Amino acid sequence: MIFSSITFLYFFLPAVILVYLVMPAKAKNSVIFISSLFFYAWGEKLLVLLFLGSIIFGWIMGLLIEKKRNSPWSKVFLIFAVIVNLGILFYFKYTDFFIQSINQSLKISIPLLKIALPIGISFYTFQLLSYEVDVYRGTVPSQKSFIDFGTYVAMFPQLIAGPIVRYSDIQTQLKNRQHTLEKTSQGIGKFILGFSKKVLIANSLGQFTAVFTTSTDLSVLYYWLYALAYMLQIYFDFSGYSDMAIGLGKIFGFEFNKNFDYPYISKSITEFWRRWHISLGTWFKDYVYIPLGGNRKGKGRQIFNIFVVWMLTGLWHGAAWNFVLWGIYFAILLIIEKLFLKKFLDKHNIFAHIYLLFLILLGFVLFNASSLNQAVSDIAGLFSFGKLPLISAEAIYYLKSYGIIIALAVIFATPLPKNLYIKLSGTKAEKFLMIAEPLVLAFLLIIGTAFLVDGSFNPFLYFRF
Amino acid sequence: MNSNKIKHILTITFLALICFSFSGILIFAPKKDYSMTERRTLKKVPAPNWQNLSSGKFMSDFDDFALDQFPLRDNFRSLKAVFSKYALFQKDNNGLYLYKGWLSKLEYPENPEKIGRQISKLNSIYKTYLENSNCKIYLSIIPDKNYFLAPKAKFPVMNYDYLLETVQNKLSYAEFIDIFPQVSLESFYKTDQHWKQEKILPVADTLLQVMANQKVSTFEFFQLENPFYGTYVGQAALSVKPDSILYGVNPDFTQVQVTSYNSGSPSPALLYDMNKAQGRDPYEMFLGGSDPLITIENPNEQEQKELIIFRDSFGSSITPLLIPAYSKITLVDLRYIQPSLLKNYLDFDSQDVLFLYSTLILNS
Repeated sequence: MIFSSITFLYFFLPAVILVYLVMPAKAKNSVIFISSLFFYAWGEKLLVLLFLGSIIFGWIMGLLIEKKRNSPWSKVFLIFAVIVNLGILFYFKYTDFFIQSINQSLKISIPLLKIALPIGISFYTFQLLSYEVDVYRGTVPSQKSFIDFGTYVAMFPQLIAGPIVRYSDIQTQLKNRQHTLEKTSQGIGKFILGFSKKVLIANSLGQFTAVFTTSTDLSVLYYWLYALAYMLQIYFDFSGYSDMAIGLGKIFGFEFNKNFDYPYISKSITEFWRRWHISLGTWFKDYVYIPLGGNRKGKGRQIFNIFVVWMLTGLWHGAAWNFVLWGIYFAILLIIEKLFLKKFLDKHNIFAHIYLLFLILLGFVLFNASSLNQAVSDIAGLFSFGKLPLISAEAIYYLKSYGIIIALAVIFATPLPKNLYIKLSGTKAEKFLMIAEPLVLAFLLIIGTAFLVDGSFNPFLYFRF
Repeated sequence: MNSNKIKHILTITFLALICFSFSGILIFAPKKDYSMTERRTLKKVPAPNWQNLSSGKFMSDFDDFALDQFPLRDNFRSLKAVFSKYALFQKDNNGLYLYKGWLSKLEYPENPEKIGRQISKLNSIYKTYLENSNCKIYLSIIPDKNYFLAPKAKFPVMNYDYLLETVQNKLSYAEFIDIFPQVSLESFYKTDQHWKQEKILPVADTLLQVMANQKVSTFEFFQLENPFYGTYVGQAALSVKPDSILYGVNPDFTQVQVTSYNSGSPSPALLYDMNKAQGRDPYEMFLGGSDPLITIENPNEQEQKELIIFRDSFGSSITPLLIPAYSKITLVDLRYIQPSLLKNYLDFDSQDVLFLYSTLILNS
């Protein structure tokens, strides 16, 4: 089940909200936990048992790690938990990648296992790992209640597409959270804005990028349009989904940290990764980069640590070599910035913005390629002056057809609309906003619903995560 | 009460109202069986069982049901079409476009693989039935609406020259009859992909001049009372003026006998089926719509000339215009009959054989 679907919006969510509202406070977590398992099972069927098993295992390990804190067994349990969690993730996500790589390098043909990838496994595995490590470190106490723990891991707002929620961020909220008019209203607003980003902008741009991949009327302009459209599509898709997750969390009384902070206004790759998929970046920093030594063991070791983190980041995004290459690409850029470029970028804003957008655009072309060869071909297409026509009829057609959507996407990828809203809020326009805001949100829900009802095109980009 | 609190109450109220209202209607309102605008059956709630639950089919069927039975579905589809066109300035909606009152579907690019498959099918017919016969073989290709409309609207256009050249070259045993000059945008319905029977007399004339050394006969045209909303109307979900269907009648028609082999056995059929004219797709009034094999016998034709047409749906409306020139016309639609079964129904001897296909079918 995905948030941007009629089944979720008009069956599942109203039903869960109604039950949640009528249940006493003690039972509210059970409602979230059970409905989340149902939500997961809707898409993954019997794999919900694997998920439930992971939750039970994570809960037991947390209890054991804490119980044996003052003995070596605590570390043993932690290592065991990490191995099992990562082992499950490796099996489902990376086995065929591993087999394919062996086949390619040794020129043999071991048959692929074609294992179905459980949706959200990368997200919930990282949540479980962070919990177990935090319990081991003593940062958080283990959760004694299985229901509360299950609620933390499984809660459907953030289950299949993040943000990766740290247990430390919501442990008190599991037991004691506020349900207020303001919070609920803000949650609804955030959800609707995320829903609009996903359905109106991301899905529309996705239709265009899908057409591009089958086009035979290629041109340099067409490649640039595709690259720009994909860069915007993935941002609005991912950040839209995160917004929906954060909004839903708020409706149920939870405060999640933001996951995207207008990354395309960044002036360096370093800054970009502090604004893009923030929960993943901080996870890798806290659980891989810093334990490896971070920047505390000399430049050489820091560079090595950066490479490890970014190769793993690439791999986390997908089980294919273009993702590894994508990770290495960012590792190299980050190292260059750390060594000398960042100082220059800090002093040259315009150049820095152009630099950032250009490199991110190239990065996402690499990210979206179906293979390394495709990636090379797509990047070459951007610069094929002379080999490809500059423009083509199809490119002009799609520029005209998607120009407004792209322009809107560019504007909404910046904080300008939000800043304008904040500016108006403190003025006489506040009374106007009092009515306008709910009406706009209602309109967006209606329009978004219209797009869902009409379209069969509603891709879920995170199936590979 | 401060304005923020009012805003919060209004937000929750409006959104809850929308959400719960539509949920309630979706759950409790009677379910529709069929969509006239989309011309298809609508999904109902699937019955759960272990098999469809464990395979996920129940869930995907339920999602389809939720989409199909959503309240005011047609209105929402129209809203999306209007919003896409007039707010987002998108040129097409799910591949459908509206240009100065004309609805059409983007048909590009040319697909060499699909063209090749269609050619292979026809060549197989030739090799199996026609190569060693005395049949005179003709080929004619019908341009689709986009040939005329897409360049006007500056939309992507298929390479029609490639398609024409390829098909002609691969079917070089057939005499090519070029009907492109006899067709224009006005030959087509504004809301449907098909051509208008009253506008294709020049096409019929060209075909008959080549095949039968005759001019086309005279026809008196009558208009159906009901307006004709073509297939594109439902798909596009935009408000457009309907077409009118006209059908031509010739004195020979009083004695014409039409036989359908839809069920495998011969049964009487109609040249113009007035029941279908009131149905979900009024264009089906021409020879009753899709049919694997139809014969039309005209006892008024004295020379016993026979014609076999391998055709698509465009053939349904042009065939009546050819009747006066032939004592028997057999229509074959290879989409609905296995070529190997043709020997049970047809003797290919010395008939005129016409491969008559639209660019839409050749490219699909």
